[in-house]
Amino acid sequence: MATRAFQRLPTAPAGRILALRLVAIVLSLFIIAGVLALSGHSPLMLAELILRSTLGSRFGLEDLALFMCPLLLTGAAVTVCGTIGLWNIGAEGQFYAGAIAATGVALGLHGPALVMLPLMTIAGILGGMAWIAVPTLARAFAGVNEIITTLLLNFIASLLTYYLTTGPWRDRISGAQVSTQRLSVSIPEMWGIVHWGFPVAIMIVVGLALVLSRTRWGYEIRMGGANPEAARYAGIPVRLRIISVMLLSGGLAGLAGMFEVAGTVHRLQGGMANNFGYLGIVVAVLARGSCLNVIPAALLMALILDSGIVMQTQQLSASVILAITGLILFMIAIGDELAHYRPVATTPAKGKAS
Amino acid sequence: MIMLLTGMLATAVLAGGVLALAALGEVLAERVGVTNLGVEGLMALGAVTAVMTVSSVHSPWVGLLMAIMVGAVGGMVFAFGAVVMRANQVLCGLATTFMGLGLSTALGHSYAGQPVETTFGHVTIPLLSSIPIIGPALFGQNILIIPIYVLLPLAVHFIMFRTRHGLNMRAVGENPAAADAAGIPVMAMRFWYVTLGGAMAGMAGGYLTLTYVPVWSEGMVAGRGWIALALVIFAGYRPIIVTLSALLFGLVTALSFVGQAHNWPIDPAFLNMLPYVGTMAFIIVPVVVWHRMRRVMAAPAALAQPYYRDVR
Repeated sequence: MATRAFQRLPTAPAGRILALRLVAIVLSLFIIAGVLALSGHSPLMLAELILRSTLGSRFGLEDLALFMCPLLLTGAAVTVCGTIGLWNIGAEGQFYAGAIAATGVALGLHGPALVMLPLMTIAGILGGMAWIAVPTLARAFAGVNEIITTLLLNFIASLLTYYLTTGPWRDRISGAQVSTQRLSVSIPEMWGIVHWGFPVAIMIVVGLALVLSRTRWGYEIRMGGANPEAARYAGIPVRLRIISVMLLSGGLAGLAGMFEVAGTVHRLQGGMANNFGYLGIVVAVLARGSCLNVIPAALLMALILDSGIVMQTQQLSASVILAITGLILFMIAIGDELAHYRPVATTPAKGKAS
Repeated sequence: MIMLLTGMLATAVLAGGVLALAALGEVLAERVGVTNLGVEGLMALGAVTAVMTVSSVHSPWVGLLMAIMVGAVGGMVFAFGAVVMRANQVLCGLATTFMGLGLSTALGHSYAGQPVETTFGHVTIPLLSSIPIIGPALFGQNILIIPIYVLLPLAVHFIMFRTRHGLNMRAVGENPAAADAAGIPVMAMRFWYVTLGGAMAGMAGGYLTLTYVPVWSEGMVAGRGWIALALVIFAGYRPIIVTLSALLFGLVTALSFVGQAHNWPIDPAFLNMLPYVGTMAFIIVPVVVWHRMRRVMAAPAALAQPYYRDVR
């Protein structure tokens, strides 16, 4: 219950958001440490171990970059959709669709990597776009809630991946389960196991930030998100912008799938999306609608995932990381809301029209 | 043929019951203006709680009760963020789903794959076996069918549309400021109905493992929470229609079982896609075909909008 000692501002200052998020994260860490201590683990020892094997080792840093790569793109996918006020909860499915399309090209065609990689990239982007096409059209022309349609397609994409990797595309050579054979082409590596997809992903995110802030198209998107009625009145074709933004979003998530399949996993595999699509939502939330902020947000999320690997070596279930992510997201959602409140001085506040 | 239809209907009733419970709970939450996207996670928590309880207490009733309580607690956690703190409802809901899915998998780790020995009734439907020969789908099933399909929806319908309390409740979802001015406790109403919705999601999870799929495995809720959310939109936030559409939806699920049992020349993966494809068709087709339905079946006006008394 808001008391009259506080006044709610329509926008929250960035500094206060940052401060409250730090509080939220620290609070979450305390809760996690408490639960771990209760279940018989030593939180301090675990924290030291995590720091040493993530930021403190080359192997950990390489893993960090590999985790960041898909998160940057799925995070950007959810962020661009968010600028026009829509939620793309289906990045997971678009990720699979992109991975499937890229794998299809790699399995079906043969040629030098210089030809194959661009073709796979295009296929990946188109795959992601195709996967979001139905929700896009339903949203643009019939006003159907995009949250549920994009989400349902995740399950379909994951089943399709399962079908392909156990059926027509299954690995006939090494007999690996739920997986295709190793693809003949891969994105070249630039630093240890980190492939060139990583810097490309960063460049894409920076480029998107520029497009959104500097071009007419980006301005129209932001207008459409801030006030669709006003945007329509100003002559912006909101429906067309919704279509273009959602397709772009799907394409970005599809590209993430292509990078993962060609750079990191080297084969289409059941479960390879690894929640990257869902975690993209968390990244986008942390980024608060700014593409540039996607980079530190993806870094934080990658750090959490990297810590998850360490925790698995300590007999903690991998799913604990999903619960931890949920807790941090929950606390940050509350922190972001609290950042809107300003203590009011003794003089009665003038009601601010919103 | 008759046996096939009986079996299909039996599966439909069983499968639809899970959705009916979760969707009815969500109708309660959305009617007071709160979208709870945490249903999937709360169902997973309910499902694992039921399995864990039954393995030590051996009573399905205690298991179901625990699932309801855990769902209520989860609903309260969500309501604390989304209603009391007024944080973004989409985020709080997703966070609840993440927490629920993660926690349930971690908790159920040592129970995975073990069959639940005490379930409701004697009718268990094995997933991929042939259609069992059982009595009429509505009366030869477990004891919970009647409460789920008849008592609960009728009670919710009566309270929502025939009592003053129900009028107040809907007012909170349509125009919280006016409701507040009329002296209706907006916050309390939202908090408790979201909690009740969470309890029903937990119950849906418990029902899932205690009747329908009596074994815990990771990812076993498999999007049923999201399908329930879609059904609420499809049914226009009406308790009786939502229950009937859950049954219709159970038929779609049953169809994929029948296909697998009869070795239709379609890969099981595609049959398993049916519920999700069906749900998409459910929420897209009606709006496209009947344009006017959009107004009749519209969401509560204040849905997903936090209410601030001071900012008016």
